[in-house]
Amino acid sequence: MTVSSPFEGPRVGEARRAMPAWLRAGARACVAATVWLGRYVWAGWVGLAGLFCLAAGWQAGHEFYGSFILPAPLETVTVLFGLFEGPELAQAASETAWRSLGGFLLAAGLGTLAGSVAGYSFAAMRIMRPIVTVILGVPPIAWIVLALIWFGSGGGSAVLTVVLASFPISFAGALEGAATRDRALDAMARSFGASLPTRFRTVTLPHLLSYLFPAWTTTAGNAWKVTVMAELLSNTGGIGGQLATARALFDIPLVTAWILLVVAFALITEYGMLNPLREMTERWRSAGLPWGVKR
Amino acid sequence: MKLALDKVGHAWLGRTVFEDFDLVLGEGEVVALAGPSGCGKTTILQIAAGLVEPLRGRVRRHYRRHAVVFQEPRLLPWLTARDNIAYGLKVAGRGRAERGAVAEARALDVGLDRDDLDKYPVELSGGMRQRAAVARALAVEPDVMFFDEPFTAVDVGLRRALQDLVIAAARRARFSALFVTHDLAEAVRVAHRLIVLSGVDGRIVDQRAIAGEPGRRDNRTVFDIVEGWSADPVFAELFDADRRGRA
Repeated sequence: MTVSSPFEGPRVGEARRAMPAWLRAGARACVAATVWLGRYVWAGWVGLAGLFCLAAGWQAGHEFYGSFILPAPLETVTVLFGLFEGPELAQAASETAWRSLGGFLLAAGLGTLAGSVAGYSFAAMRIMRPIVTVILGVPPIAWIVLALIWFGSGGGSAVLTVVLASFPISFAGALEGAATRDRALDAMARSFGASLPTRFRTVTLPHLLSYLFPAWTTTAGNAWKVTVMAELLSNTGGIGGQLATARALFDIPLVTAWILLVVAFALITEYGMLNPLREMTERWRSAGLPWGVKR
Repeated sequence: MKLALDKVGHAWLGRTVFEDFDLVLGEGEVVALAGPSGCGKTTILQIAAGLVEPLRGRVRRHYRRHAVVFQEPRLLPWLTARDNIAYGLKVAGRGRAERGAVAEARALDVGLDRDDLDKYPVELSGGMRQRAAVARALAVEPDVMFFDEPFTAVDVGLRRALQDLVIAAARRARFSALFVTHDLAEAVRVAHRLIVLSGVDGRIVDQRAIAGEPGRRDNRTVFDIVEGWSADPVFAELFDADRRGRA
């Protein structure tokens, strides 16, 4: 029997009965998601203001040095929009996007997996730390040279370079996160008879995420940069290849347009993919802030 | 008999904490374990609760489930109070609806409001958090409860309220409990029996039944019992911080 509160008429009660529980829960989730999305987009204005400050600085630089050294932002944007009409942008962008996405997924996946496993073992941690420092110490440009020798000039060497250059960052993040897991909370979970996988999922992973998100953000940013660099040096098409051509032609606005495109991709990866994910999984963190959780 | 520790001994990094410790916990019995800091009370509790493997001796358990209330609340910061209280049930694989209902019932038992259930631990006061921790332990309907100095960090009034809550829950749910404390008055309020450990070598200095039933002893009685013991050399270590320092 459904009991309606004294404040709602019989009709409301009827409507409630007619609506199945899952539908009601779904509708509530939809509303919550919309509210959250609206808030997220609205918060973007502040970030946009920061970007426009940067653009103003860029404009000032342009006015000082002139178009040949530093093309104006507007000029760059015009060239970029012009590129949208031709076929080479879609081609180059998708090539670069696939390479850096593949590199990012491999680097983040392998690094996270290996790092969190190593974080559980003190010996592994001691052995892996210097190895990571060594891998990080090798400049990405050196990896490109090696990858070119090993794999020839194809998309594979760009991906490999991304993986080698970015893997240690995710690895170090996951390692640090797993090593600093709260053993007291782990003991609490054990006292309830939680198995190792359950404990990892409920106790270690949420803690790990706060280390992983910054690492993943850096990995993603790195992936874009290194892919373009590898493409430029190995002459394997993509945005890097286009940059090389533009440089050869001394078409500076074209160079800045391609750079702008890469930056836009990096921004989209971070604020369009990683940050929303972080907001969703780390909602509890804002509970500790002065303004609390936005419900 | 619910739980028995036979000739249990343990050492941390080669330093022996205690040896040949025996304990039998009867059905529905609350045993208080008192002793100065560092005498191995918590280690004994961890061994009894299966969180630490003893170096020597063995532990016999004749019950289905246990739960531990730690000195700190140990709530998961990323879960709401409701999900924290339901954590043990989730681990046990109970359904979502059942978890929610039980969590709410236990929360009300320990004096949390319905509004508090959707809050995260950081939004709760220290006392509220410890209440949630007690509710989480009660939610799994344990046969044996382990309390590890659970109320040391809360104020006097709240401590008494929480003690009463534990006593009432023990009587209602008929669980046995091992209650580690260094507060004799707390031991006298909640327990049937008291074991006193030595701070020097972790030996059992004394074991005694406490007159009357937990929950039936009024403040006057508790005070008189503790006052009566204060002259007893058995408790000298507990009362005399100077001597403890030299030991």
